Amino acid sequence: MKSERETSNGGQAWWLDRRSFLKTGAFLGGSALFAGQLQRVMEMMGTAESQALAADFAYPLARPENILYSVCLQCNTGCGIKAKIVDGVVVKIDGNPFDPMNLTPHLPYKTSPFDTATYDAILCPKGQAGLQTAYDPYRIVKVLKRAGKRGENKWVSIPFDQAVKEIVEGGVLFKNVPGEETRKVEGLKDLWALRDPKLAKALAEDAKAVQSKKVTVAEFKAKHAEHLGLLIDPEHPDLGPRNNQFVFAWGRLKAGRGDLISRFTREAFGSVNAHGHTTVCQGSLYFSGKAMSEQYKEGKWTGGAKFYWQADTGNSEFIIFVGASPLEGNYGPPLRIPKITEGLTSGRLRIAVVDPRFSKTASKAWRWLPNKPGTEGALALGLIRWVLDQQRYDARFLANANKAAAKADGEPTWTNATWLVKLEKDGTPGAFLRAKDLGLSEKDLFVVLKDGKPLAVDPYDEASAVEGDLFVTTELAGIKVKSGLQLLRESANAHTIEGWAEIAGVSPRDVVDLAQEFTSHGKKAAADIHRGVSQHTNGYYNVVSWYSLNLLIGNYDWKGGMIKATTYNAAGAREGQPFPIGTLMPGKMAPFGISVIRHDMKYEETTLFAGYPAKRPWFPLSSDIYQEIVPSIGDAYPYPVKALFLYMGSPVYALPAGHTNIPILADVEKIPLVVANDILIGETSMYADYIFPDLSYLERWEFHGSHPSVAPKIQPVRQPVIAPIPETVTVFGEKMPISLEALLLAVAERLGLPGFGPDGFGPGQPFTRPEDLYLRMVANVAFGDKSGDEVPDASDEEVKLFLNSRRHLPKTVFDAGRWERTVGSALWRKAIYVLNRGGRFQDHEKSYDSEKVANKYGTLINLYQEKTAKTKNAMTGKPFPGLARYIPAPLDSLGRPIEDSGYDLRLITFREISHTKSRTVADYWLLHLLPENSVIINESDAKRLGLKDGEAVKVVSATNPEGLWDLGNGRKRPMVGKLRVIQGIRPGVVAFSLGHGHWAYGASDVVVDGKVIKGDPRRSKGIHANAAMRVDPVLKNTCLSDLTGGSAVFYDTQVKLVKA
Amino acid sequence: MIVPTPMSTRGEELTRMREDLRRALKKPVEQRRWVMVINTKRCTGCYACVVACMAENGSPPGVAYRRVGEVESGEYPQVARTFMPTNCMHCENPPCMKAAPLGAITRRPDGIVALHYGKLKGKEIFERVSKACPYNAFSFDDGRFYSQGTPAPQLYEKAPTFEYEKAWVRTTGALPIGTARKCHFCLHRLNAGMLPACVTTCDGGVMFFGDLNDPESLVSKLLRTHQSITMQAALKTGPRVYYLVDDTQAADSLKACLACHR
Repeated sequence: MKSERETSNGGQAWWLDRRSFLKTGAFLGGSALFAGQLQRVMEMMGTAESQALAADFAYPLARPENILYSVCLQCNTGCGIKAKIVDGVVVKIDGNPFDPMNLTPHLPYKTSPFDTATYDAILCPKGQAGLQTAYDPYRIVKVLKRAGKRGENKWVSIPFDQAVKEIVEGGVLFKNVPGEETRKVEGLKDLWALRDPKLAKALAEDAKAVQSKKVTVAEFKAKHAEHLGLLIDPEHPDLGPRNNQFVFAWGRLKAGRGDLISRFTREAFGSVNAHGHTTVCQGSLYFSGKAMSEQYKEGKWTGGAKFYWQADTGNSEFIIFVGASPLEGNYGPPLRIPKITEGLTSGRLRIAVVDPRFSKTASKAWRWLPNKPGTEGALALGLIRWVLDQQRYDARFLANANKAAAKADGEPTWTNATWLVKLEKDGTPGAFLRAKDLGLSEKDLFVVLKDGKPLAVDPYDEASAVEGDLFVTTELAGIKVKSGLQLLRESANAHTIEGWAEIAGVSPRDVVDLAQEFTSHGKKAAADIHRGVSQHTNGYYNVVSWYSLNLLIGNYDWKGGMIKATTYNAAGAREGQPFPIGTLMPGKMAPFGISVIRHDMKYEETTLFAGYPAKRPWFPLSSDIYQEIVPSIGDAYPYPVKALFLYMGSPVYALPAGHTNIPILADVEKIPLVVANDILIGETSMYADYIFPDLSYLERWEFHGSHPSVAPKIQPVRQPVIAPIPETVTVFGEKMPISLEALLLAVAERLGLPGFGPDGFGPGQPFTRPEDLYLRMVANVAFGDKSGDEVPDASDEEVKLFLNSRRHLPKTVFDAGRWERTVGSALWRKAIYVLNRGGRFQDHEKSYDSEKVANKYGTLINLYQEKTAKTKNAMTGKPFPGLARYIPAPLDSLGRPIEDSGYDLRLITFREISHTKSRTVADYWLLHLLPENSVIINESDAKRLGLKDGEAVKVVSATNPEGLWDLGNGRKRPMVGKLRVIQGIRPGVVAFSLGHGHWAYGASDVVVDGKVIKGDPRRSKGIHANAAMRVDPVLKNTCLSDLTGGSAVFYDTQVKLVKA
Repeated sequence: MIVPTPMSTRGEELTRMREDLRRALKKPVEQRRWVMVINTKRCTGCYACVVACMAENGSPPGVAYRRVGEVESGEYPQVARTFMPTNCMHCENPPCMKAAPLGAITRRPDGIVALHYGKLKGKEIFERVSKACPYNAFSFDDGRFYSQGTPAPQLYEKAPTFEYEKAWVRTTGALPIGTARKCHFCLHRLNAGMLPACVTTCDGGVMFFGDLNDPESLVSKLLRTHQSITMQAALKTGPRVYYLVDDTQAADSLKACLACHR
């Protein structure tokens, strides 16, 4: 490893006059803007004018050699982009017409990139403004090391190699910081305790045996006496090795970088603690999808996919959008808006919107239901009740109990609606009845009742169709049973339609009208849901209720119904793919132990079990519990953590009650080492010990995948389109920009981690550069999911175009010779074909199979979830219900209602289309649209409270009565915003849009190398009121959570507004 | 009862309009009649057009060729939101042209009302032409930059833009700093065979563009089969930007706008 010091002309006052534009300018970290690669860019640019002013003007942005196709990351949607480059600078970004996210129908994949140069497709305003994220004056280019207390925002820039050395070796790293003169930090070398995969396997197996009480702790200790020092706590071997005290947490992450982080953290370093941010977005949506897609294999429910469904928007005739606004967010804009607006103007589509706020989507709706937040499940059950009462469900679909029956009806999916569920003594539904229980069969089969007679069901039997009676309540061989559908009916019958309407705060007439319309379009209707449904303490059951409504019309996999995302596999996991990334790893570790967020494991089955409630919740049915990462570390439950790496996430800003993370992050005793990888100093990375600069989305690789509303199979590929902005370093003898990749490769080099280095992918197969991984993945995509699925070879002209359009990229990120060697000559031209189009995209006409989608989910969907019903809540000791039901919100983590009387407004958030949560404030074109957000209430509330439009108000709540962000070190920021009084919001509800009100991310002054870098006041305008959101009264250091689906709760807090 | 009017998917529309455009480019310039057609029923107030325009034309702080008006009307819970995109109307009888110095604003043979920045310098001229325009199409380029006041000026603000098929670099202090600016239907894109940036990026499929002299063009067809209006027709400026207003294609709430702006 060797760091290149670049000459600096930084530190001067810039913008002396316009003519000096080219000559000044300093990036944070003391490096110069125009050093190195960028100097060349600027020199080239000097000649641009004369070229362009030539008499035979040719618009440079229409020329194929000035265009690179990649993938946006301004939000998590990942639409295709065409980056248009003039002399090395991206000057314009448009939509990629090859990508179905940008155009319906998208252009055939075989279209020549020479033809598409002048074909721009759709993009949203954030995508259009993306180059301002890359060209952000507050980006850091060198490693910053903390020179003051955590969060004090005093930094020094240090050489990359030194930073890596300090992190790996540890020591007294902050001796210049008052109070830390003697604090010794354990380096990663100390935490990488267990290094032998064979030993790891033996310890894991025996720890499991301790859990299942086949072995005592004493026996375990005796057997592994020599290795007990490798464990966190020999008394609790199931906590796993000390390696687990290294935690990697991320925000927005996709395949490619996801594979890298997993390889580094799990498979090389051997820590189970690699956790994402799903629960802050829509966790309970994903994890109800997981539960509903679990399949019964060899006596176990397994293989449930962390995923969800959306409406096939371009073919639906009726869609109910619940807590989802595709016209503003919801993985919506370029993918879904055109399909909705086309449908509305052609007469194909009618939409209804359930949302307390009159969203832009609601403004296009046939019916708007401004419900009380948190009652989304009640509304679903009202609709379900009507559909069942009126017998408007698809009885033929619901009767199908196995694959053969579904097949006979031409149905791609089937449900367990007719399977019989055993009732516990208290009448609670529990496990499914088994054929064995009745002596029907020796095999592990389920049971339905058909015309009063029990029949055994093999869910996956393709030969003998089994149908069941829909509504069953009976006793068989002394066992009380009910069918799943009967249980759903009972959930729905808990209230009358009027009763459900009253709970939801909507009119019964609307409930009936929606249900009637929903059941009037065959399979071409859908209830499409998102955050507004899932981010409540009852989120999971809200989601399950809406998905159950969809099941009643059997719309899954049907054109116009509910569909799923389908992608080309980039990791090489399919048979025959050239580079199986997961297995190309000598010395691979299988990490083991309880994770710091206690996921995917039952509390009762661990050695930590000590009755109820547990010290903190466990998450046996979900993962990536973002709001539990830092707070759990704060409580050292289940164990203390020694080092935390943060990548592209900002829990402090993004989480509800994210302020609870601040004192923990700021406490060097609770987390001895915090390393962030960020493109600038953000609201969370400001508490780090080291910040490594990262590449923006225009400088790097990723495989973005797809979204459920996209019918074709795709794999968009993000690739570098401009020269990297951070400085160049040398890792494994290779020059590369500082980045996530450089950081992890350098740590791997210094530690000698397996799976990296000259033989990282196997003998003679190096993993010494980022592209060593990413190009192999491109090759997998080009190869396809099976033999014969390959893309065509790029023609000679296309090969030339590939090289020519990258002429501005330095060797640190583009080296055609090495790339070809990595991919192999057989696939090289195919890889070029993919990269010349920004990914791989199935043709539109191949994405439908007559009236169904071609890329089908195609298996059992669980209306009743046996696995859920057999899993207990670690706080209450009670089992989680196994099907749709309404549970009032909010509840604390012990399941007790929260009242907060005196706080008269329910706080909700929303997204303006021009912003995402934490990162778009850097885009000045977007700030032109909305310089600051507001606190929005209905006029009737404003009158009641004596508040006027435009006046400053503070948001306060029971757990933040002062209405402040306490940033530590004496800094506080009040949650004050301008009031906006409108008609289009339910009285009693107050809303603010996410994305404004920053105090870091370039909004405040920071000190780097002794110089003050002034913050930009444009970035601090407006309000970010997440700190008003309810802190859990039991846990006290995190927000409310949905303990079943894991969601962080955004919409269940009562607040009040006070004049500021 | 709404009678459905068949509309096609945006992919088909963009492909067809691109073909229309390329067909028109084969004709002599004076035989082209560029028009814009706006379907407000499809407008979702996404502002992609505004940002696309700013990026395409390098418009600095204070300058925007395109706006999307947004109005809430009604009373809870009977609420409506109307989104109204506007830009230069490219009038057949442009009042700005009369207010400007001779030759500073011209009507091209294809109907685009073009600015000649060199002849439009000064705030005083801007105020004159801006006042003359009933559509508020003009903004003044006072020489600011978005990355002004930050630790480092940014490359995209130095990069050339290509309005009127010339390269403009504002960081040298040169034009179009100090002039009036407005929409030119992305003339530089049209002549390269590309639709205007607001049309291609439009999320709702609101924006249509093409040659009204070509009866086969999509814009001709839309204006034949739907009722449309131009803004403030009474002024007889002859806008070449049309808004669809029949029941099937206009936002119901558009009536609120039309009450004042018809």
